[in-house]
Amino acid sequence: MTRAPSDRQRPLSPNIQIYRPQLTSVLSIGNRITGIALSAYAVALVIWLVAAAAGPDAYAAVDAFIGSWVGRIVLFGGTFCLFFHFCGGIRHLVWDAGYGFSLRAIYASGWAVVAASIALTALTYVVGAILAGYGP
Amino acid sequence: MSNARMRSPLGRALGLGSAKDGVEAWWRERVWAVALAPLTVWLTVSILMRADKGYAAVVAWLKMPVTTTLMTLLLVALFHHIAFGLQVVIEDYVHSRIKIPVLVGMRLGCLALGVAGLVAILKIALGA
Amino acid sequence: MIIRSSDEVPRTTVLKRFPVPRNFGVDAASRINRGRTWPAPRGATRIKRFDVYRYDPESGQNPRIDTYQVDLDDCGPMVLDVLIWIKNTVDPSLTFRRSCREGVCGSCAMNIDGTNWLACTKFNADLATPATIYPLANMRIIKDLVPDLTHLFAQHRLVEPWLRSKSPEPERERLQSPQERAQLDGLYECILCFCCTSGCPSHWWNGDRFLGPAVLLQATRWLVDSRDEATGERLDDLEDPFRLYRCHTILNCTRTCPKGLNRGKAIADVKKMPIERRS
Ligand code: SF4
Ligand code: SF4
Ligand code: FES
Repeated sequence: MTRAPSDRQRPLSPNIQIYRPQLTSVLSIGNRITGIALSAYAVALVIWLVAAAAGPDAYAAVDAFIGSWVGRIVLFGGTFCLFFHFCGGIRHLVWDAGYGFSLRAIYASGWAVVAASIALTALTYVVGAILAGYGP
Repeated sequence: MSNARMRSPLGRALGLGSAKDGVEAWWRERVWAVALAPLTVWLTVSILMRADKGYAAVVAWLKMPVTTTLMTLLLVALFHHIAFGLQVVIEDYVHSRIKIPVLVGMRLGCLALGVAGLVAILKIALGA
Repeated sequence: MIIRSSDEVPRTTVLKRFPVPRNFGVDAASRINRGRTWPAPRGATRIKRFDVYRYDPESGQNPRIDTYQVDLDDCGPMVLDVLIWIKNTVDPSLTFRRSCREGVCGSCAMNIDGTNWLACTKFNADLATPATIYPLANMRIIKDLVPDLTHLFAQHRLVEPWLRSKSPEPERERLQSPQERAQLDGLYECILCFCCTSGCPSHWWNGDRFLGPAVLLQATRWLVDSRDEATGERLDDLEDPFRLYRCHTILNCTRTCPKGLNRGKAIADVKKMPIERRS
């Protein structure tokens, strides 16, 4: 029988402490973090709907928070998380369908996700500003 | 855990054996994700396009049958997606005895929030 | 799918490691201390610093990082040459596995500058200064750079990596068409170095139940073999929220396979197989 007498004391070699952050793992963790953050935004969405159902006063309170300084920053973060998770999610669906697994494709799509989520966030705010009447 | 230590390596790797299941959950995750994607686009674009976010304008918008329908679908898909996603995250990182209670709590939370959202939408849609 | 040329492996690095403390979340026995520094031999002409993980089970002490000043003009071009040079000229106690020294046996897999690779196929010229050498990530360490692979081989055994056939034994070889044989390309080349499994975050957190990329690649190799007749049983054994579906398509495995094999695609296909037989 195989014995492993010193098994108990054997140290575990480091993993996340030394493993190089690569686009692959960084985007995966990013997708996870934005997903968890977006769950909180989903709660906010429900609060917003409930407030709208409750009446003008409740709605005004929520609307005031969204319009506040803090609210704007939170909303901006949410917009970026949304686009990041959205683009990353599409990348995952393409993989699940069985495409885009060559190393080149993995890196190209990875950087595309980063670029697209930044661009879409910017676009949203530009369009929003124009529609709100700040534009040319 | 002295018992586990004497177990053969293969025995340990085999563990409780295969669940012979898992594709169902994996597949539903994808289906709800696919359903959610266009609905998210709709919500983002419509919120963006609505310059007037005053109470009357928003309620009028939510009262439209299209909005009610799509918002209902969105909430259902959204909270399914969240429940599946958080389940994977919890299973990945929580290995203690609280795993099952946490999973149950998370699911019930999703259910409660989803239902609250749906009731709010219906109240707006049907309300005077 | 095989990496056609090494230029597909990206060279740019923003961070060498995640910004977490070095002993973050590490149990007491695994904490890494600072070790000693070995100076370069007199007359050394081209010196490069190597920080190497050391662990001596007989010392009763924790692992440590020893620093070696290596004379690159006195040794070969690969990381394995550096290790052999250290062992021969500086510190005979340095322990590591190696055999073929040409990337076919899979013995010398270790974590080099934060990425798992074979020491014998990694150029010193591609390393940062100081270069860091750890054993394969997330393994129980027997000594220095030698990890205990028992559990990984047990997981390999679990998928029964051999031909399972129910037809009576044929008089001659079991035949395959060239197309059927081609199905095994990109799968059979695996040398079981476990660079991929040791680099898979999902295996770090759930390695007791998740089979990991190397073993899933082997499982695929038998699932797609036209001569195998146990496909159904194999799928039964694989279909499990942890064994198979704990793969989250992080693709660190594809990034780090020194043979350029692409488990990502293989695993994605296997994930869908149980759907095919249901609907
Ligand atoms: S798939 Fe590649 S990295 Fe993984 S064990 Fe095989 S050869 Fe090594
Ligand atoms: S793709 Fe799957 S097997 Fe490969 S590193 Fe990621 S989780 Fe691990
Ligand atoms: S020594 Fe055989 S793979 Fe490196």
